[in-house]
Amino acid sequence: MASVSQGGAGGASIWHKMRGFTYVDAILWALRILVIVVVVGGTIGTLIKGRYSIEQWFDFFMFGLTIGGVYALIALGYTMVYGILRLINFAHGDITMTGAFTAYFLARALDRNGVLDSNPILAMAAIMGLAMVVCSVIALVVERICYRPFRQVASLAPLICAIGASFFLQHTARGLYGSNVRSYPDPEWLKGEITFFGFSVPPVQPMVILTAIAAMLVLYAIVQKTRMGTAMRAVAEDRDAAAMMGIDVNKVIIFTFVLGGCMAGIGGVLYCMVYNQIYYFTGFLPGIKAFSAAVLGGIGNIPGAMVGGFFLGVVESVGPALFLDGIGIKAPYQLRDLIAFTMLVMVLIFRPQGILGERLATKRA
Amino acid sequence: MLATRSLKALVALGAVGLVTQGAPALAETMGPVTDEIGVIKIPKGAPIHIGGYWTISGPDIALGLDQQRGAEIAMDDWDNKVAGHPIKFLVEDSQCNAEGGQTAATKLASNQNVVLVVGPDCSSAATPGAPILWNAGIPSVGTSTTAPSLTAADRKPGYHGYLRSIYNDLSAGAADADYFYDVLGCRTLATVHDGSPYAEQLVRVAEGRFKEHGGEVVAAEAVAPTDVDMRPLLTGIATAKPCALYFPIFVAAAAQIARQAGEISGLEDTNIVGGSALMAPGFLEAAGDSAIDFVFTNPDASTDAFGEGYNEFLEKYEEKYGEKPIQAFHANAYDGAVIALMAIEKVAQKDDDGNTYIGRKALRDALFATSGHQGIGGPIDCDENGDCAGFKFAVYQFVDSDPDSFEIGVNPKKIYPTK
Amino acid sequence: MAFDVVTASYQEREKVRSPLVHALRAGLTMGGVTIFLAAVGIVRQFNERWIIADVLTLGQFALGFCALVAGVLVARKTKAVNAAAATLQGLIAGATAAGILSLLVLIMSEVKLRFMFVALSKPLFNILTFKLGTFGGIAVLIACGATLGLLGALLYVTPARYRRPIVTALSAVALVGLFQELIQLMIQREGILSAIRETFFTWDGLSLQGAILVALIALGVKSLWMWRRERIVTRYHGLPTGQQKTVRVSMTLVGMLVFLLIPLAAGNFIGQVFLLVGLYVLMGYGLNLELGLCGLLDLGFVAFFAIGAYTTALLTADSPVSIANWSFWEALPVAVVLSLIVGVIFGVPVLKVRGDYLAVATLGLGEIVRVLVLSDFAGPVFGGAQGILNIPRPHIGDFAIDNPVKLFYLTVILCGIVAFIAWRLQYSRLGRAWTAIRDDEDVAQALGINLINCKLLAYGLGAAFCGVAGAIFGVMLGSIFPHSFQLLISINVLALIIVGGLGSLPGVALGAAALIGLPELLREFGEFRFLFYGMTIVAMMRLKPEGLWPSESVKRERHSLEVTQAEVEAELHGETAASEKPAE
Repeated sequence: MASVSQGGAGGASIWHKMRGFTYVDAILWALRILVIVVVVGGTIGTLIKGRYSIEQWFDFFMFGLTIGGVYALIALGYTMVYGILRLINFAHGDITMTGAFTAYFLARALDRNGVLDSNPILAMAAIMGLAMVVCSVIALVVERICYRPFRQVASLAPLICAIGASFFLQHTARGLYGSNVRSYPDPEWLKGEITFFGFSVPPVQPMVILTAIAAMLVLYAIVQKTRMGTAMRAVAEDRDAAAMMGIDVNKVIIFTFVLGGCMAGIGGVLYCMVYNQIYYFTGFLPGIKAFSAAVLGGIGNIPGAMVGGFFLGVVESVGPALFLDGIGIKAPYQLRDLIAFTMLVMVLIFRPQGILGERLATKRA
Repeated sequence: MLATRSLKALVALGAVGLVTQGAPALAETMGPVTDEIGVIKIPKGAPIHIGGYWTISGPDIALGLDQQRGAEIAMDDWDNKVAGHPIKFLVEDSQCNAEGGQTAATKLASNQNVVLVVGPDCSSAATPGAPILWNAGIPSVGTSTTAPSLTAADRKPGYHGYLRSIYNDLSAGAADADYFYDVLGCRTLATVHDGSPYAEQLVRVAEGRFKEHGGEVVAAEAVAPTDVDMRPLLTGIATAKPCALYFPIFVAAAAQIARQAGEISGLEDTNIVGGSALMAPGFLEAAGDSAIDFVFTNPDASTDAFGEGYNEFLEKYEEKYGEKPIQAFHANAYDGAVIALMAIEKVAQKDDDGNTYIGRKALRDALFATSGHQGIGGPIDCDENGDCAGFKFAVYQFVDSDPDSFEIGVNPKKIYPTK
Repeated sequence: MAFDVVTASYQEREKVRSPLVHALRAGLTMGGVTIFLAAVGIVRQFNERWIIADVLTLGQFALGFCALVAGVLVARKTKAVNAAAATLQGLIAGATAAGILSLLVLIMSEVKLRFMFVALSKPLFNILTFKLGTFGGIAVLIACGATLGLLGALLYVTPARYRRPIVTALSAVALVGLFQELIQLMIQREGILSAIRETFFTWDGLSLQGAILVALIALGVKSLWMWRRERIVTRYHGLPTGQQKTVRVSMTLVGMLVFLLIPLAAGNFIGQVFLLVGLYVLMGYGLNLELGLCGLLDLGFVAFFAIGAYTTALLTADSPVSIANWSFWEALPVAVVLSLIVGVIFGVPVLKVRGDYLAVATLGLGEIVRVLVLSDFAGPVFGGAQGILNIPRPHIGDFAIDNPVKLFYLTVILCGIVAFIAWRLQYSRLGRAWTAIRDDEDVAQALGINLINCKLLAYGLGAAFCGVAGAIFGVMLGSIFPHSFQLLISINVLALIIVGGLGSLPGVALGAAALIGLPELLREFGEFRFLFYGMTIVAMMRLKPEGLWPSESVKRERHSLEVTQAEVEAELHGETAASEKPAE
């Protein structure tokens, strides 16, 4: 069995410094070099080809920020729950979907009777409000059924339960609302283009980015400035100590899930405003991406989730054109997820604690 | 060395396997019927079992559920009776993948009462599924399986009991390419597929044909069926300034392309053309206002050729399932079920006690002999390889985005051939 | 430990409520369940299947069962001792449950909700109202609900001596009715079996006569067993230890033999289901090495499955993209070795990643493989979306392994080999090193265990096991497509080893049977397959979080944990933990 350890790189004894160089390092270096070659070579190749103009690069960047904002909002739910309970709320993506799907019916009604166009802010507030309520309620139900019984047990049971809940939510939504792809309304005020600094973008993009940032600022203020936020941070730091200081851990956990649900509600509606469609499977993939974003930024770290979300969105959007087009890879957009996940793995190699570092005091096994 | 020896052994064994497997069972006689493969006796009053297998779970559920519903409506239209017996319709889940198709087909094949199978929807499920069924003497009617290999002239004997009520990618892809080159006068083409065997095959065939004509394929891209952000992709395609953009993909992703193409500068002069997977109210629902003026190719299914059947079908569908058809191939499934029932009716023979006998080979032959039938999705004329949907090319265009206004011939209206 | 318990005291204590409130609560809960069943479309679909032909549909059964459960629940909550109290409470609970459902009926008759809830259709309305119109239907519904609730409560207070046989009989009827199609498939031969079939079944399902017979047989068997049980158990305990072991081992062997012979008797479909279960068992053993022994969470396991399948396909298939024309037996070792190598390579980047990061990193790696195999970029190598067709079946001499049953036995043999290796590994030096890493990485390192090598070996060997499964998968289908290698497979494997019992080899097999076998046997509920799958996983985790067949070490740990917790709780609350358990 031990022979494997000897099978490493050959020239290890040449320099003293290199003595510790094993086959593991060899593989890691090969991986790094490969990625760097692809990234640098691809970038140079693309730029030399000159296929895209500066406006188009700007477009790519804006597309990325838009979807990144949504990822960030969903990622917040993952990261907060992880900070408090140390578990992956695998069903969070589908919780997002339930809120947005339920709000769809309100949005449709408001669109049909013209309120969405005549009174956009009120209508959007109502739609998002409904999505937030639904997401929060579902998140709490999931917490009650899937996580609370396992709060004291260090096992994978809650993860498995969450996976079960994810399937359950998807197919409940399918059974209730049908398998059809539904189209979110496309209000008049989101049509056309707005121009700034010589670049023109569809208005939905700044709307989504600004709303996302505003929501995140509010959340950050809640976590940093309010009593409940302080309690949240205390519980995240050390649950038992917090309990002994008289913090109602239960209440904090419920509050966390509600906050995460609200962010998911906003994120879900924004997602649907950008892409105008929803069906029962809508939540799953953004959920996984957002979870990756949370890890990218450093899980448990609230600003980290925001940064991770935007970062992931931008790389996904710019990556295929920038890195892959240049080295002549066929159909680069098919490999978009590959870029996203490769980047995730690379970040974990170079910086296992994520971009901004995790905010967790203790290690976990 | 080892390889060559075992290769020989393999060939020898393969030959043995073929002989033992391929040999038909001795002719069987039961009641008034003698058949090469076998005879099914249906006692008086007992139901006739018809199988079906489609994708009825997982993310592709809409594709299969839609077709299952199409077939169910066909049976309703026959009052759930065929040859004087009630129909028992056994639907299995093909999961749109090979293992699902195999399991479903194995289950249906192990039921000796199953006379015939309608489905599946995915070519990847039919590839292992169809031979399992036919080796058990059960013919099957694919309802949206378009892979050319399934009905290729040199296909394995296991596929001899398989036919389909949908076009073959070869004819559809070629016809689409002809349209781009000859009718639209395009010399540059961009394609997008979604990684499904269906779309990939169509796109490859169309690209090949387009190049044969002398055109140039300036972009061959692909997306994932769950992708929503098509803008980077479309921006990339726009830099190549293609004359036509062809994406024969499914509703969700196609609707995104239809929506977002309008926002991309550089695609204003491009002909944006979808495929027949979009012939469904679901596309109007998903694409919203961007569906207006949207163009897609589809086998000719205009009402002047086929009567009012389809619109009646739509009403029944909505009445029964509470929503409009969710995918595009329900009509093919309806037709597939109808030709299956017609074939059963044709070969079923009764004895004096009222028992019914169906010869398996005779049933297969009757299915393959179907011709001149006017289906709601197009004319059905089977050739000896099992391609039944006579492919007559047409191009449709949506004029309204309200799903309720969906009516073939009106919305979408036929814009080619104009007559 | 003690701190955990302090936090645990935050869990809410049971409030004291009146029996009426309990009855209403039970009714409301189960009424909610019935509304769910109706609104999701389950009732409508279930109603097309008979439990007892022309008497009781599965849909009615499901709704009725909810009312029955409402009665049982309330009786259990209030620990009702006398029949009169139970009757009343059950009546109220059942009627409440039905009342909630009636609200849905009322709403359906007055408001058009179908634009939102697609399942609320006319046929559903007819099912719920027994075609008697709104108010007639509601009256019948509430009457039925009340009766069933009452029966449920009565059943609960019936002495176990009578209750158990009744419950067994009813469950037997329900099970036979549910699986009737499968049973009929198995006994669709001429001769004596045909006579049996005609006695019990009609074309549509279990006949009334058959149902009564099944109930009587179950009743008889259960009563007989309850009557003789004590004597058998006493005799067993009277045996010397050596003989006890012999009895146990021989019983297990006979059981396994019977189990293994089922596919041979039951034909190809059962063979196919068993085969799929076998493949997941193989993968489960692989993941069990990584997760159960070494504590490495892996959500990208499907990658190795794909590598096994694609290697076999590329080396054996008669297809344009294949690179050789080998036999299965030559390709299998290559597939295994390649999976092992890729497993190690995948292990390297995630070596330093811990815990849940590992889950997402491996998930990413799994997706990378799938996306790559499907892509146009790698299409010339792997065949793209069109997959690889014409993979030949394995042969041994003149004997072709060409149907699911034969492939199942091949899988069983490979499972046996893999299980043996896994079992030997578990108790080897390496296995102990893995366990040490799982329990505490830092301590393990301090003890001189080479973390890197041990972890990579876990990844490599786990991947190799999975590669075996992939290779069989390829020849099972005769053609492979990238769409077969979804994230869902990784999730399935993870779920089944947790549900079965982490670290336990028989547990993995049991988990695979429950999570893969059952859904395959009930394929006709395809539409709701994943809904039930999700519910089952959650329910199993709630009821048996340590798994269906936990490994010995987990059992021990859990036991000691429970004892300490119980002691501390007893100290805190001044009461014994035992009294909180519901009285049987």
